[in-house]
Amino acid sequence: MKEKKILTQRVGRYEPLDFKAYEAGGGLAGLRRALDMGPESVIEQIKLSGLTGRGGAGFPTGLKWASTAGEKETPKYFICNADEGELGTFKDKVLLDGDPWAVLEGIIIGAYAIGAQLAYIYIKGGYEATVNLWEKLAAGAQKARLLGTNILGSKFSLQLQVVRGRGLYIAGEESALISSLEARRAMSRLKPPYPSQRGLFGKPTVVNNVETIANVPLILTKGTEEYRKLGTKADPGTRLFSLSGDIRQPGVYEVELGSGTLRELIDEFGKGTTGGRPIKAVQPGGGTSALLAGDSLDCCLTTGAIRKAGSSIGTAGVIVYEQGKSAVDIVKGLMDFYGLESCGRCAPCRIGVVRMKEIVERFSRGKGTIEDLEQLRQIGKACVVASTCGMGQAFPLPVLSALELFGEDFEAAIAKVSV
Amino acid sequence: MKKFEMEAYRNLVERSGGASSENLFTLLGKIQDTFGYVPREAVCDLAARTGFSEARIYGALVCYRDFIIRLEADG
Repeated sequence: MKEKKILTQRVGRYEPLDFKAYEAGGGLAGLRRALDMGPESVIEQIKLSGLTGRGGAGFPTGLKWASTAGEKETPKYFICNADEGELGTFKDKVLLDGDPWAVLEGIIIGAYAIGAQLAYIYIKGGYEATVNLWEKLAAGAQKARLLGTNILGSKFSLQLQVVRGRGLYIAGEESALISSLEARRAMSRLKPPYPSQRGLFGKPTVVNNVETIANVPLILTKGTEEYRKLGTKADPGTRLFSLSGDIRQPGVYEVELGSGTLRELIDEFGKGTTGGRPIKAVQPGGGTSALLAGDSLDCCLTTGAIRKAGSSIGTAGVIVYEQGKSAVDIVKGLMDFYGLESCGRCAPCRIGVVRMKEIVERFSRGKGTIEDLEQLRQIGKACVVASTCGMGQAFPLPVLSALELFGEDFEAAIAKVSV
Repeated sequence: MKKFEMEAYRNLVERSGGASSENLFTLLGKIQDTFGYVPREAVCDLAARTGFSEARIYGALVCYRDFIIRLEADG
């Protein structure tokens, strides 16, 4: 398996604020083509490219744009979701810091395609240097006439607001992000209506992940036919994998889906586990994806194959756990985080996450009971089916899969009753 | 971090082009970053400027980890 640097080809090759260097390196060709072909054709191209969301849900980008463009209500808004909060995921930061002009170009093209005149980029609060960089970048873009009125001499005008997140995981969920921008509590909303129909301030809104947006200029520059040569038929393009956990060489690696197995990805880029022990379990798609056992990593690296193996590719944040660690500890680490992050909008998640955290803690102290095992399963399943947003539907998955795969670890943590 | 002064606060609001529902979240963030917390005087003033109730603004502020509020005046 080889790295395929497409989105990351310019990362580290130019000074992030140097617009001229970006343009000299082939930048802006996508935006120029977009302005020539008109909004409808841009959306058509994105649809044909088969681009899907890179933020976890994997929704087809072209459909999202078409749905927003088709709404009569105005104004429309375009939001770049850079609130990268998922555990084990740090790929967007590479693009935001390393090739910000490409992300900005994608934002401008997206806003043009759906007819928005105001765009937002909502950056994770912890990425302070990134926020500062983007504030300077937005000012620089205004000078270079990439933002403001009559962009590149066209009739299209766009303003960009750089917004810093304020330390909430759930604000990365698109409807909670919208609430946050409206200066409300960051709480997810019931869908439908989808943001594409009624989003920011009740107006049609597109929310796209950074990596998704970075693909857009590329598609328009290369053409959909060339673009679709990357990856597989079902998963065109490349993916940025954030590799972390018990491995020697964590980092962000760009590969084509379908070009190898999950094990190859971990072995070749991760360079083995830190303790030299075999792999016990892997989360292939960020902290809310189900665990895969160490002996089922030979599945091909495609959305379909990983789903078949029992997990999902999600945000492509691959977290590796080596043997010698109890599944109870793995799950406790995750629940310590998610247990504090429910927005409280819906009961299953608000109550379930706390109860599951408590039970997992009990097991980690060796004080679990047989009833606890069943409780954990039932609460988890209830959250998955009854929660409003992606967080509540997904955070129980690692726990449920751990019970399934490593039940003996939990049984070992059941309190011994002396007779 | 600056000590909170009404004038410095007003300048900040002016530089941000006033206060509205569109920029309130960003503005609250700038106030937090400038003074280290969001003072009560600022919330009162922002409520008057935006037409939101103070409770509505506090309700949002307490939700976020990075916002610090103080109810009593600076002493």
